Amino acid sequence: MLSMKNISKVFKTDLVETHALREFNLEVNEGEFVAVTGPSGSGKTTFLNIAGLLEGFTQGDYFLDGVNISNLSDNKSAAIRNEKIGFIFQGFNLIPDLNLAENVEVPLRYRGFNAKERKRRVQHALEQVGLAARMKHLPSQLSGGQQQRVAIARALAGEPRFLLADEPTGNLDSMMARQVMELLEEINKAGTTIIMVTHDPELARRAQRNIQIVDGQVCDFTMYQGGERTIEKPHLVTGSQEPSNQDKVAS
Amino acid sequence: MFFYYLDLAWRSIKKTPFLSLLMVLAISIGIGITITTLNIYQMASINPAGERSSKLFEVRLWSQGIDTWSRLNQQITYQDGFNLRKSPVPVRQTPMFMTGFAVQTDDPEFTPVLENARVTDRDFFGLFSVPFLYGGAWDKQVDSEPAYQVVISEELNKQVFAGENSVGKTLYLNRKPYQIVGVTKTWNPSPKYYDVNNGAFNDAEKIFVPYSLAPTEEYQSWGNNQSWRNEPMDTYAQRLASEAHWNQYWVELDNPEQIRAYEEWLANYIEQQKLLGRFEMPDAKAEIADVAQWLKVNKVVPEDNKILVGLSALFLIVCLVNMLGLLLAKFLKRAPEIGVRRAIGASQTQIFSQHMVEVGLIGFCGGVLGLLWAWGSLSLLSAHFELEDALTQLGYSMWVLAPSIAIIAALLAGIYPAWRICSTNPSVHLKSQ
Ligand SMILES: Nc1ncnc2c1ncn2[C@@H]1O[C@H](COP(=O)(O)OP(=O)(O)OP(=O)(O)O)[C@@H](O)[C@H]1O
Ligand SMILES: [Mg+2]
Repeated sequence: MLSMKNISKVFKTDLVETHALREFNLEVNEGEFVAVTGPSGSGKTTFLNIAGLLEGFTQGDYFLDGVNISNLSDNKSAAIRNEKIGFIFQGFNLIPDLNLAENVEVPLRYRGFNAKERKRRVQHALEQVGLAARMKHLPSQLSGGQQQRVAIARALAGEPRFLLADEPTGNLDSMMARQVMELLEEINKAGTTIIMVTHDPELARRAQRNIQIVDGQVCDFTMYQGGERTIEKPHLVTGSQEPSNQDKVAS
Repeated sequence: MFFYYLDLAWRSIKKTPFLSLLMVLAISIGIGITITTLNIYQMASINPAGERSSKLFEVRLWSQGIDTWSRLNQQITYQDGFNLRKSPVPVRQTPMFMTGFAVQTDDPEFTPVLENARVTDRDFFGLFSVPFLYGGAWDKQVDSEPAYQVVISEELNKQVFAGENSVGKTLYLNRKPYQIVGVTKTWNPSPKYYDVNNGAFNDAEKIFVPYSLAPTEEYQSWGNNQSWRNEPMDTYAQRLASEAHWNQYWVELDNPEQIRAYEEWLANYIEQQKLLGRFEMPDAKAEIADVAQWLKVNKVVPEDNKILVGLSALFLIVCLVNMLGLLLAKFLKRAPEIGVRRAIGASQTQIFSQHMVEVGLIGFCGGVLGLLWAWGSLSLLSAHFELEDALTQLGYSMWVLAPSIAIIAALLAGIYPAWRICSTNPSVHLKSQ
């Protein structure tokens, strides 16, 4: 579903060149829940931004759902983001002037759905995260955990195949974090592929598959076999054959 | 999508009311000044004859001697005015000049008033499509066999006869009794193109008397008199026979053939007059100008007006540059939100459109407010600087023009800020939160 081959990303500023990603290789299959860990500054966010078509890359090949991503026009990549990808950010990034329903509605507006369809989807998405009753509230009236759930609802409203989360629990206490994690697991169970960057090894362990990024490369590749979902989806075992990183695969 | 953008724009304006007000004010002041000068310019250059404009021609003759005036004068002599009437070519034609009378009635209680008058032929009313309230023009016959008949305006009729049908009644002009044959409906071409010599934006005269009466009644010219040589002017007969210019002449020519025929006729006329010792210049010529050309020849729209419009447009640009700065600040402050919108699927085009709609809305508000300023400043101008009413009336077209200019101007100012915000990399702002 997602395939990156020899991706590199160089940030050039006046003084320095930063190699945020170097010969980055990764395959993610449909329905996987991948947790990405790694030290600060290793390139996790950069990877996620490239995966989510928010940023271009310097070299390499990237296929998403069979579509070659290099050289897509802005309109096309916006449409792919809108239809196939849901984003969840560490800072929630809700729009403060819009109430919950309006926030969740934003991607649906750009998608061009009619009012009825928008309403149905907003209702459904907010119900999924258990906040349908507070539709008319402003983000500032919610706790952090609730805000993150709204952000998840916003990501879900477009029914994406693919959910990208950058430290979604980073700003939450452990109780809230667990709630959000449970929500993500449910979503994944329903068939959505999730890639989640996290610093929390506890949470990472709950994902089926862990990868570690160090210094811009996929360094550690662990299948976490403890969960029951690996049994449900045995095909993931074959998905672990990361071709170019085999030497780095740990057992 | 447009209405979504409009909704977002409205929220954004409400969110920063002071900044928005500042922008609306900036653009409205620019628009107010531009519309004010544009209005004066447009009102001054409006073609008052409408669709008949291309059929009505003012006649000019190079009757002056050698080494005098170096161009065609705007008026002609009485003798030429008198002679030109003999041409069979024009559909209608009339000589004319301005005079004035002390007006009295049979009613001894009525205080005499002094009024401008026009001395002209019957064709005047047909040429310029003067509408009548009561009666009509005098008979064609009166143009050759003088009769004491008069046409008055609706306004004078109100003043003197309380607005009743006064046809058949007697009006005393300089103590002479004239029979009223017609009352014109309010008619006030602006500019007063049939005689721009005597105040292009003055009102039309209220009294019209036959040209044929001039020799007997010795109507004095109340308009411009121009002479290119010294001649005795002690008697009225001397004045009529002089080379002084104080008459105007208009003809109606319906098609190119008539125009050509008339130009030929005028050339022949000049040749004839040369035999009589007039038109001394070897290349003396006649020229006719239709209404639009005539207004141009007379610079009825003064050059100053154009400069004024230019200056106010410059001022508008200054206002827009201000607005550009404010917009840039406002939009870039919103970068994090736009980053989110981009991340969840808004294309650059959509973000650009969203901001252009917001700018357009500000422009529209500025345009409406600017229209108010323009209306205010025009009223002020007419109240304190005695500009003619005709110039200071806000034209209907301005109601459309003001918001249109404002929106277009605002969009121009908004292009750069909107482009900046839509082209910034969303990921940068997502991290910063
Ligand atoms: N826009 C940018 N311009 C220049 N350098 C950048 C830019 N974005 C990221 N970098 C650099 O790229 C490298 C990877 O950054 P990235 O944000 O991907 O790290 P990260 O793994 O997400 O770190 P953290 O865990 O702290 O969020 C860092 O060295 C960073 O300084
Ligand atoms: Mg990061």
